[in-house]
Amino acid sequence: MAQAAHQSDTTSVVASIRDVGLAYWQNQTWNDVLHKVHLDVHAGEIVGLVGESGCGKSSLSLLLMGYRHPAAKVRSGEIWFGGRDLLAMSEAELADIRGNRIGFVPQNPTTALNPGMRVGAQIAEVLRVHGRTGGGEAVTARIVELFNDVGLPEPRALMRRYPHQLSGGQQQRVTIAMALACDPDLVVLDEPTTGLDVTTQEQIILLLKRLRSRHGTAMLYVTHDLGVLSELADRISVMYAGHLVESAPTEVLFDHPRHPYTRGLIGSIPRIDGRRPRDGRLTGYLDRREIPPGCPFQPRCPLADDRCAVEPQELAAFAPGHEVACRHADAVSPLVLDDGGVRPERGDSAILLEVENLDLRYGQKSLYQRLVPSALPPVVVRDVSFTIGEAEVVALVGESGSGKSTIARAISGLLPPIGGRIALRGSELAGDIGARSQDVVRRIQFIFQNPDASLNPRQSVGRSLARPIEVFFDRSHGVPRDLAERALDEVMLTADYAGRYPDQLSGGERQRIAIARALVAEPDLLLCDEVLSALDVSVQANVLDLLERLRRETSVAMLFISHDLAVVRRLADRVCVLYHGQMMQVGPVEAVFEPPFHPYTLTLLMSLPGSHLRPGQPVARSEPTRAPEPQGCAFAGRCPWQPDERCYTQPPPLHITDRDVAIRCHLPLADLSNLAGADGSLSTHATQTSQAGQTP
Amino acid sequence: MADASATTMARAGAESRLTRARRFWSAAPSAFRIGAIILAIHILLALIGWVWTPYDYVARVGIPLSGMSWEHPFGIDQNARDIFSRVLYGGHIVILLSVSGTLLGVVVGAALGLTSGYLGGWFDEAMMRLFDAFNSIPFLVLALLASAVAGPVASGEPLLLVGVVALVYAPRVGRIARGAAQTVAIQDYVMVARLRRERVRDVVRREILPNCSGPLLVEFALRAGYAPVLIGSLGFLGFGVRAPLPEWGRMIAENRNLIFTTPEALLAPGIALATLVVGLNLFTDGIARLIGRSTPHAGA
Repeated sequence: MAQAAHQSDTTSVVASIRDVGLAYWQNQTWNDVLHKVHLDVHAGEIVGLVGESGCGKSSLSLLLMGYRHPAAKVRSGEIWFGGRDLLAMSEAELADIRGNRIGFVPQNPTTALNPGMRVGAQIAEVLRVHGRTGGGEAVTARIVELFNDVGLPEPRALMRRYPHQLSGGQQQRVTIAMALACDPDLVVLDEPTTGLDVTTQEQIILLLKRLRSRHGTAMLYVTHDLGVLSELADRISVMYAGHLVESAPTEVLFDHPRHPYTRGLIGSIPRIDGRRPRDGRLTGYLDRREIPPGCPFQPRCPLADDRCAVEPQELAAFAPGHEVACRHADAVSPLVLDDGGVRPERGDSAILLEVENLDLRYGQKSLYQRLVPSALPPVVVRDVSFTIGEAEVVALVGESGSGKSTIARAISGLLPPIGGRIALRGSELAGDIGARSQDVVRRIQFIFQNPDASLNPRQSVGRSLARPIEVFFDRSHGVPRDLAERALDEVMLTADYAGRYPDQLSGGERQRIAIARALVAEPDLLLCDEVLSALDVSVQANVLDLLERLRRETSVAMLFISHDLAVVRRLADRVCVLYHGQMMQVGPVEAVFEPPFHPYTLTLLMSLPGSHLRPGQPVARSEPTRAPEPQGCAFAGRCPWQPDERCYTQPPPLHITDRDVAIRCHLPLADLSNLAGADGSLSTHATQTSQAGQTP
Repeated sequence: MADASATTMARAGAESRLTRARRFWSAAPSAFRIGAIILAIHILLALIGWVWTPYDYVARVGIPLSGMSWEHPFGIDQNARDIFSRVLYGGHIVILLSVSGTLLGVVVGAALGLTSGYLGGWFDEAMMRLFDAFNSIPFLVLALLASAVAGPVASGEPLLLVGVVALVYAPRVGRIARGAAQTVAIQDYVMVARLRRERVRDVVRREILPNCSGPLLVEFALRAGYAPVLIGSLGFLGFGVRAPLPEWGRMIAENRNLIFTTPEALLAPGIALATLVVGLNLFTDGIARLIGRSTPHAGA
């Protein structure tokens, strides 16, 4: 029946992946990475392919480009494109199609562009290889046209630049221009916005939408981020462990997911309105060794029974255009959202950590730099002040390069400040960790972004957990076993984890161990540096639950560094918004997400998937027009609302609202209240369109 | 019942260990297998020679340089001693000196190199210049210098030889260790240890060393392969162990005047030294490949 649905309108199908099975040669056997994958892309359509890491989505996108990994074997199936089977073509025939009829946009533009070649020449090369152009002037004209298409300013000047002279967003626009150079019928995008900042991501998505409506190019957008797809895709296919488990139009998928995995995936996305699903959260993680012969999702599925484990599930039409591979599809109900429960009210607690007028710069002063002050490395954090109360969660928010992690390093004593003071419970902290007392060192614990690198691969989990106890509580001769077990229990892991090594753990488990290791020191303050951003969506949701429980049940305060506003909304009590090392806005979490906004805060909120720009609303520039002076507002170059020249030259004044929000901006407070529109409320109607009406 | 099942389980465990060893053996590179066999024979002979030899290694047993015979398969040297017995007895001396000298060199080199790679800064700078200085002196010259400095009393002591081998090897091992430590030192778990304010010694021992053990093992294996050559050369030049002790290099030196008249006197120590070096090198090369890192064959 699935077959019939596909054949009904074969006329408009650009690419048809039929029953493709792929295996990799690993550990002396063939391991299946794709099972009977069936996917059509129609003309002018954006199809989203979503799944967690290791599900096979990148293998599929590369297969569609005709790429055959030396250790891979196509077990079955065909990929029809332009009336021919890509899998049956020779390399020479494929070369005619790649980059010509099918364009590709890679995840990381920095490594995808040749660093030794001007970007114009790289696009000219694509045109030349596919015989698309006549003379030199025609090539230039085509590149200018392409650069205008993808929104790159001053195309003629930009053509002559090298990739390192462009920002990440501009580089990605160049790779998109390259993919479009030969007017392809299909563009495959493999996580094209994953490495980019949120505001840049939003602009790339707007660009893709515009390109689709202008040229009608079909796109296959491969990502792990359902939120992005909610804005962009017409149809979404969900992949799990090499199986397509559900395929439906975007609205239908979000409103009525019919596969428990899809439902869990949607529920795992942190929402900016702070609400969360009542049930159906994903548990565990994808372990390819534990996949039963039947439904691959069976071990993690809340609806699974014994038959699920043995009966293979195939995509079958559930409704027109909606296909599901689940025996229990009828029993899967739409997500019900709660408002996340009442947040425990925090009275004015005593101040734990005080950061005052902090100035930071990288590196140490060498003799040369002492003699020549202009050779000093630039200041990365300027005049930042905030406080963290006892048991309070304060979030530092900003894009990459905003100095968030640098501030955490300064608090931990790894980077002595060049100005300002940091005080813990009223007593000033030494800048260098070597000058701090052991007790102070114990009270501040750091959790790193990447759990793969923060655990010693040669130490068992038990050993890693015991070491801080030995060091901080002076137990040089062995730590009681139950201490490590209690620490594991704290992060919801069983005692037998103590004997395991990091390579036997999943990313989420490693991050839990890292959290447990910080907690055994009984700290007063946890510095969490992007602790969720290296994790898969479902794992991220579980670790977020854990952090939330810690916040509720223990008295440890946190400095939570993140670029993800939705996560911050759920976890933080107060938020500091940073841009290029300057404080833009500080305030209680509820108040920061409502007007008045700092222009930069609003820019961040607008770039969330699902937030909708009103017509005529100004948009922040992706690149600064000119650099502001050091004492001016750091955001001046990109700000669309800037009143005048003052923004570049004078320090912005501090406004304090009646809701205890501090904003540094040259605009008067009344204007800031109206930034988001006349009614003063931001339409943060989040990803799940069906619940939009109920959003406060 | 319980006993029986325990025995079967034990047997199953032993069997699986045996099969595992067999699988490892058949999967290992052939260089490793050949080297291991040669090395095993050498160690066996050295052990035998240590407890029993046909004749005493200093005893006068017959007419000097009377050629090969069934009683004296490799002949009799110019001092009327049985060459076969001397070579057999000398085995454990050569192997012990080589291994302990290399071990000391690797331990010292690793300690300095790992600390240097972790700390960086001026300590690293000073350490590297020191290593450079040592590495720039040809190893034989360095070894002779060290022996000369030690003076006539210490000369010929086995401990001095161990020290000389270590002195030659430590700076070379130190450079490798420092490079390995530098890649580990930037990992977050080392940062975590620094944030606990662990002592340098603890960070190096607990966090850095275990993660550098691969390259250090390879380094040990390769250096051990060349150590007999170094000791043999010193023995040949007269800076080896003291006179009656039958170290192979020294035996070659003692009989080298007779190479044209009775070459068979040189045959046994020569073969012994050559097979030991070849065996060790094949073996260590195999280990290097097993650890998954092809190491450049830097000179001894």
